[in-house]
Amino acid sequence: MTCDTARGLILDAIRGRLSDASARELRQHMETCAACRAFEASERALSEALDTKLPQYAAPLALKRRLQGSWPHAAAPVRTRRWSSQLARMAAVAAAVAVVAGGAGSMLATRSAERERLAGESVNDHLRLLAGAPLATVTGGLHEVKPWFGGKLDFAPSLHFAGDEDFPLLGGAVERFLDRPAAVFVFQRRLHKASLFVMSLPGLDFPLRPTSRSVRGFNVVLWQANDQGYALVSDLNLDELLQLQKRIATAGP
Amino acid sequence: MAHIDASEVLAHADGLYNFARWLCLDAAEAEDLVQETYVRALASAHQFQPGTGLRAWLFRILRNVFLDRRRRAAPAISGEEPSDDVPGDVSTGELGQEQVRRLVAADVAAAVQGLSEPFRTVVLLDMEGFTDAESANILGCSEGTVKSRLSRARARLRSQLAAYGPRP
Repeated sequence: MTCDTARGLILDAIRGRLSDASARELRQHMETCAACRAFEASERALSEALDTKLPQYAAPLALKRRLQGSWPHAAAPVRTRRWSSQLARMAAVAAAVAVVAGGAGSMLATRSAERERLAGESVNDHLRLLAGAPLATVTGGLHEVKPWFGGKLDFAPSLHFAGDEDFPLLGGAVERFLDRPAAVFVFQRRLHKASLFVMSLPGLDFPLRPTSRSVRGFNVVLWQANDQGYALVSDLNLDELLQLQKRIATAGP
Repeated sequence: MAHIDASEVLAHADGLYNFARWLCLDAAEAEDLVQETYVRALASAHQFQPGTGLRAWLFRILRNVFLDRRRRAAPAISGEEPSDDVPGDVSTGELGQEQVRRLVAADVAAAVQGLSEPFRTVVLLDMEGFTDAESANILGCSEGTVKSRLSRARARLRSQLAAYGPRP
């Protein structure tokens, strides 16, 4: 076996896609060829770099919802109809009980689900930024970041906290947040990053007062002000994240 | 029409979106690509043969959507096939474990972004676990072309990442 032939087989060998005979022949060649062994080590190193360090992007939740909504569901098989109708009757009874119990509960449940959705999207977008989405430079601080948003957003993000020595501002970016573009400001605290998403409010149920929740190990604080929605997310502990939230919410122009 | 279960197709949304992100290098366009992929898949679901690889079928549609958009955006190159006839001066720089340890995500991302689209595509499909034959089917080219592109793309990546060298 020549070195050229061997190198053409090495990636398949690493992937476990060689026949026994080819694998045996390749092994025999590798035992006597230091150059091909070095080549194999380099190929393995590249695979490791790609597998462990190339950022992977998850589909945004909003996109998944749109896809789910657009794909028709199968008609229920005939044999399950009876069971389905029983389920439907049970659901109707449960709904009636819920109505009697009062509408407030269901409204709270809906609101809670909406806040869960906002917090979940914040974490997804924060992860995308951590995975390497580019940030605008901030050598000139907030005064340099805000003009950078010009033309990229259909609103002017309202933020007056330019970072401080506890929470320096690292940069800004534009990310999609559910169905709309959002300004993102990234702050740092020791080795942790905190992303602040600012977006136009219509159609999104941001709470009037800061409300925190934990999603997949991240803390998220949601609130609204100046007709804009704010989502602050980080793996910082909640006390420190609330300190940052307070500085953001109370900073004046 | 052959019915494809919603949960079955939606299970591939993350993989398709990641592929789209690296194809077009833009978050908003990637969403559009995935959405149009599902629209086309739904419209041609009757052509899908159950048991023939739903995932590969969806990736093929997405790649075609991407090419159609590129051709519409640049009619002058309409009909141009991706070529693997790229400058052949590809170094086979050796990449070691120690260098990999020192690399950060941005280094690897920059190297992959620096590949031409046909090269980037075969690398991504390989990472997704598609065999050369499956990638060839997705791309509508020969298996030999996939092998050649993948080999040269990886040579470029090894060379480029090895060049980052040890950091202070």
